[in-house]
Amino acid sequence: MFDSPDEVIDQLEAQGYICNKNIATVVFLAEKLEKPVLVEGPAGVGKTELAKVVSAATGRPMIRLQCYEGLDEAKALYEWEYSKQLLYTQILKEKFAETMAGATTVKDAADRVGQEDSVFFSERFIVPRPLLRAIRADEPTLLLIDEVDKSDPEFEAFLLEILSDFQVTVPEVGTLEAVHKPLVFLTSNDAREMSDALKRRCLHLYIDFPNEELELRILNKKVEGVEQRLAEELVGVMQRLRKLDLKKTPSISETLDWARALLALNASELDEDLVRDTLNVILKYEGDIKKTQAELGRLITRKVEEGEETQAGSDAKQPEKTKPAKKGVLH
Amino acid sequence: MQQKIVDFTNLLRKSGIRVSVAESIDAFTALDELSLADRGIFKDALRTTMVKRSEDIATFDQMFDLYWSAFYDGLRNSFDQAAGDMEGEFDLDQMMQALQEGMQNMGGDQELDLSELAKALLTQDLDKLEQLIRDAAENAGVERIENMLQLGFFTRRTMEQMDAEGAGDQLRSLAQQLREAGMGDAEADALLELIDKFLEALRKSVRNYTERQLQQQNFDYMEKFRRESLLEKSFYNLTEDEIKKMREVVVRLAQRIKNVLSIRKRRLKKGKLDLHTMLRRNMAHGGVPFDLIFKQRRKDRPKLVILCDVSSSVANVSRFMLQFVYSLQECFTKIRAFVFVSELGEVTPVFKDKDINDAIEKALDGGDVINVYTRSNFGFAFHHFWQNFLSSIDNKTTVLILGDARNNYNDPRAWCLREIQNKAKDVVWLNPESPSAWGFGDSVMDKYLPYTDVAEECRNLKQLSRVVDRLVL
Repeated sequence: MFDSPDEVIDQLEAQGYICNKNIATVVFLAEKLEKPVLVEGPAGVGKTELAKVVSAATGRPMIRLQCYEGLDEAKALYEWEYSKQLLYTQILKEKFAETMAGATTVKDAADRVGQEDSVFFSERFIVPRPLLRAIRADEPTLLLIDEVDKSDPEFEAFLLEILSDFQVTVPEVGTLEAVHKPLVFLTSNDAREMSDALKRRCLHLYIDFPNEELELRILNKKVEGVEQRLAEELVGVMQRLRKLDLKKTPSISETLDWARALLALNASELDEDLVRDTLNVILKYEGDIKKTQAELGRLITRKVEEGEETQAGSDAKQPEKTKPAKKGVLH
Repeated sequence: MQQKIVDFTNLLRKSGIRVSVAESIDAFTALDELSLADRGIFKDALRTTMVKRSEDIATFDQMFDLYWSAFYDGLRNSFDQAAGDMEGEFDLDQMMQALQEGMQNMGGDQELDLSELAKALLTQDLDKLEQLIRDAAENAGVERIENMLQLGFFTRRTMEQMDAEGAGDQLRSLAQQLREAGMGDAEADALLELIDKFLEALRKSVRNYTERQLQQQNFDYMEKFRRESLLEKSFYNLTEDEIKKMREVVVRLAQRIKNVLSIRKRRLKKGKLDLHTMLRRNMAHGGVPFDLIFKQRRKDRPKLVILCDVSSSVANVSRFMLQFVYSLQECFTKIRAFVFVSELGEVTPVFKDKDINDAIEKALDGGDVINVYTRSNFGFAFHHFWQNFLSSIDNKTTVLILGDARNNYNDPRAWCLREIQNKAKDVVWLNPESPSAWGFGDSVMDKYLPYTDVAEECRNLKQLSRVVDRLVL
């Protein structure tokens, strides 16, 4: 249990996740208000990671549901175990014969079988899938519904009951309520806008690319042994790279990969050749790489004459706002 | 505070952010859990509970500043200033203490009758003052303010509503009474001066508030205007910036159509029982058919051939249509795109591996295959198509033509279109001109009209999305 947003920051940092106050406040509220959190943002800014570290920090085991097109009730919620039911019927055949022994009419026999209905449609024969498992777990859990935007629009409907009331209704059995309310994180890459009904039930968190200072801290925390100067240069290049109009804007995970790659190459400072050679670590599209190579000189030299600190600052603000929109265009 | 949050919620709604009642209740519960001392946390709490679309975050930030920070800060500033002016001559705290004592002395023999406003002014209770100003402004109907000229009027009315003058009189007479009760002359004079300063600060704050209301009104107005207009704005007059915004809107519309499609396809899914698959699947249950498997019905995805007039008069329609169609690529089996002014050329390859926006701009520029700096000649273009590409059309192909049919008095050669229509499933013609202008001047739309299955005016995004909707569903 967290006592304040500041404590969230500390505890997550202890788990190796550096976050700003905004994220901390939302996580704090999510636990206090027992509300699910819908985390949106470009790929690779640490949405899934957030759920993982919160799980570690709170000691709640994580149950993960990866969404994909065609994911349905049977795979997400629960399924009846037909074969097991069948097996039981076979084994219990004799028992049934006993029950039926005294029956004189067909109706009587049917009634007697009918009385045993509940045996076959009970929790015994339900295979719980992640959503049900999270709800029925004996200890408080953290439920991560990853990439919920990849699922079909209908799937959201299943989620609604769970997200607002933390219960699952199985028609044959009744309503199964949460033993412990799970902490729910949903992540979305904005491939599709979620319905208002779903959004209404969630707290909303938008994680954007970090600013220079935060990214530097993350880099220092995650990759050990990077020289401070190299780290600063690297983060500077990444920040400027994000302002270019790229198909896939590199995110934090790419920064970390790049830093590790440079470390492996024993680089101590960035120069044009080095960047050119390692560009494919951060950029994943041929077109992006070409575009960046054309701008390479500018990307690196700007760093050297960083007298115009203020201008860089004001530059940095604008693209942040247009970023999500831009992403949309590219899809 | 509660009232303020409710007001703020309303403001958000007015600026186009959807906030449900449940969400504003969430906001209240969230605030209960947090200390309000930190403005950042307060803002984050409101945002996370009430704003659920990342596009709205920028608007929220703006509104938050407009509503929460600015007015209170202004209020504090003007009162600090009023007090600060006196600083040189007097110690304010001391003065207040003297005031308190004086009032206590007097309290004995007569009831002190001060209005709420006077009390708030005297004690500089800014929260109370803010509340009073808001209430008075509401009574005065400040939210109806529409332009700069009404500023003075509404400021005056608000002042009247909270009876600022009465409060002033009361305070002055209080100072008088204090003087009589034995306060030093110098102190009493200073008190009077202070009272005047406070009243002036109050008037400034009210005016400030009224101005802010005007801004908010304008903001709502502009915002609404911007949204509506983008959908309904004519393609003819778009600025560079609007084209960019429009692209985003197109992407969103395309996304929506895809969503709807996915639902409709699902509904279509269940057809007849698929015995083969079902038997195989249910082997595990000893051949007892527990899982029913149905054959999936498939809806034919249309093939699309687009003929785009890229002369400057229709360029924007072509631009967005192309973007629309290529955003919905997976809804079609095949798309072939042609551009023409008078010559006609295929630009399908341009779209192969390029960024879609670059590709569109390239295509509009003739795509290296045609010369765009000529005069429109629809007849020539259709004839060219008929000669070279007629084989690309079969009975599953929808032919989509974008153009204004302004033929510069050339031969329309409508028979080419007739031939095309004979082979195609549908011929859809989108014309950025309104139907009343078809056939007038050098427009030959009337000649082509008999050979189209659908001909529609398409001058803004709304109309465009309606056509696309019909195309894919």
